[in-house]
Amino acid sequence: MSAVRVLVCFKVTPDFEALREADWAAAATQGVQTRYVRRVLNCFDESALELALGLSDAAARLGVTVELGALSIGGREVDPYLKTLVALGYERAARVAAGADGDIADTDAAGVGVGAAAGAAGVDGAGLDRAASGLDFAPAVVASIIASYVLRADHSDLLVLGCRSGPGDGGTVPFRVAEALGWPCLTRVTSIEPLGDGRLRVGAMVDDGLLRVTLRPPCVLAVGNALVSHLRAPTLKDRLERRERRIDVLAAADLGLDIAAELRREACVPTALETIDRRRRGAVIAGATPRDKARTLFDSYLSDLIETL
Amino acid sequence: MRFAALLDGTVATAAVQAQALAGFLGDGLRGDLAGETFVLYCDERDRERLVDLAPTRDVRLVKTAARRPERMVDCLTAAARGGDTALFLAAAGATGTEIVTRLACRAGGGVLTDALTIEARPQRLVCRKNVYSNHLVGRFELRARPWCVTVDACWNDTRRSPSPSHTILSESDESGDAGRPGATTDTRATGATGAAPFADAELLEAPSSGDLAKSRFLVVAGYGAASREGTERIADAARRMGADFGVSRPVAMNAWAPMDRLMGVSGTRAAPALCIVAGASGAPALYWGIEKAGLIVAVNPDERAPIVANSDAALLDDAVAVLEELAEIVAGRRTHE
Repeated sequence: MSAVRVLVCFKVTPDFEALREADWAAAATQGVQTRYVRRVLNCFDESALELALGLSDAAARLGVTVELGALSIGGREVDPYLKTLVALGYERAARVAAGADGDIADTDAAGVGVGAAAGAAGVDGAGLDRAASGLDFAPAVVASIIASYVLRADHSDLLVLGCRSGPGDGGTVPFRVAEALGWPCLTRVTSIEPLGDGRLRVGAMVDDGLLRVTLRPPCVLAVGNALVSHLRAPTLKDRLERRERRIDVLAAADLGLDIAAELRREACVPTALETIDRRRRGAVIAGATPRDKARTLFDSYLSDLIETL
Repeated sequence: MRFAALLDGTVATAAVQAQALAGFLGDGLRGDLAGETFVLYCDERDRERLVDLAPTRDVRLVKTAARRPERMVDCLTAAARGGDTALFLAAAGATGTEIVTRLACRAGGGVLTDALTIEARPQRLVCRKNVYSNHLVGRFELRARPWCVTVDACWNDTRRSPSPSHTILSESDESGDAGRPGATTDTRATGATGAAPFADAELLEAPSSGDLAKSRFLVVAGYGAASREGTERIADAARRMGADFGVSRPVAMNAWAPMDRLMGVSGTRAAPALCIVAGASGAPALYWGIEKAGLIVAVNPDERAPIVANSDAALLDDAVAVLEELAEIVAGRRTHE
């Protein structure tokens, strides 16, 4: 039986939780400054990467070969992740270049998230840096890149990616790619198991329950709240053995794409950011011990309320 | 301008969808629009109930083979190409996201998911939605029509009545492919061609998180629980107080608690009268799930944690220790009574 060729797409994002309240407060006028924030794997993409490794392991036990590939769009900060994936057994590793070494400018380097599509579309967004660029808030362009990579370069027949990612959190990229490829798509996937005959048994959380389906690729699987959430770590031996493996770096133009034109066609354009004031009273309850504090809380706030619950 | 609300009656969440759409049409949508509801259904026994749920007076009924979002997309694509409908509106969720995205791709329109509010202007739709993991709200413009939008799940808990009366404008039966080879009776996702590629689809029991969404008293454990044992001790304290128990994403991701306990953007949203957040920083993605709580109590040793300022009362201490003491006090009070 022929091998299943799997491509997993992932995004490396700033760790937004590492920004301070003051950073967010300034964002509406100065943009979101993320240059000095550590990078992390989008959590759903991390699950997707690990689920694909698990699929490969399980398929091997059934005598089926799964050829794993990984794709990301970004700058050189993505390369260490790709090298880790190669060490873990991903045979193909590719990056569509953004930032200093690509024809897609790097949003994060500019420190503003909504400038790219706004600038390209000529929107005069208040407080936005129109010179900033990148693919945040440009899901149609991201989907074009992924679909073009599948069709022109990778020829994979199973695409796995996170169901959504920041900063837009729209969740539309998997369906856009599926439309471009003419493939079916299942979202909020939580498990992928091989059946040994080329078909897969897939679990997905849908709006009213857990769906289990049997499918035969090609298809797009968008991973949601999977129990498998952490990417395994490679051994030093694996790293050393595969350190010479090449990472392919492509320009969008290599895929036949004109990013500036694609951005101008983006139908949903970000124009501004607003801060959110969630503050409540924040009254700090004093006390010498946890019991003292719990007692004060109960007497001052809960004793009457709790009777009504 | 006209809008079309989309009610997927082939899934068990139709009532929630209808509630969200009614709330959004009443309070979230600005602009001079009149509209109708496309009701997708597959069982004649549900027909009348679904019509009654429709948030608009005018209704178009579409019977489909089964849970087939792509069938709805096909119908809507035809409507988008042939009519004057500027805006297609669906409730939040996987099905709604699939429908509006595929519709926008096929009809050449713009798509935005999880809209907080929208304002229809002659040539564009101005939308607001949460971005940056709910740290900020972004304003967006959709230009190309049709505008295809899902409403944020925050509208799920709005209380607005459906339209008091309904007029059925049209009925169509798109269930004719039910007998085609390869078609199934329970398939959610299909390719652009419309054929059903997934076989043996089986909808298992719905997750048990429903009690969280309706909870009146909720305890939410965060990463400050520090371990599975700490999480279980907080869960036990919640049980003794008669509270429902939820967790933040890091707790669920570490398998310290089942995934169906997850609160926040990727989990459950609730509006309890009392919510005690124990050991969670209160990141916006979690806070979205509890922001409608009447009283929020934070238990966290870090006074700089966002949840402290975003709570009504805060205890700067170890979450497990405080919750166990509080459970003892509450239980003692109830025993005393």
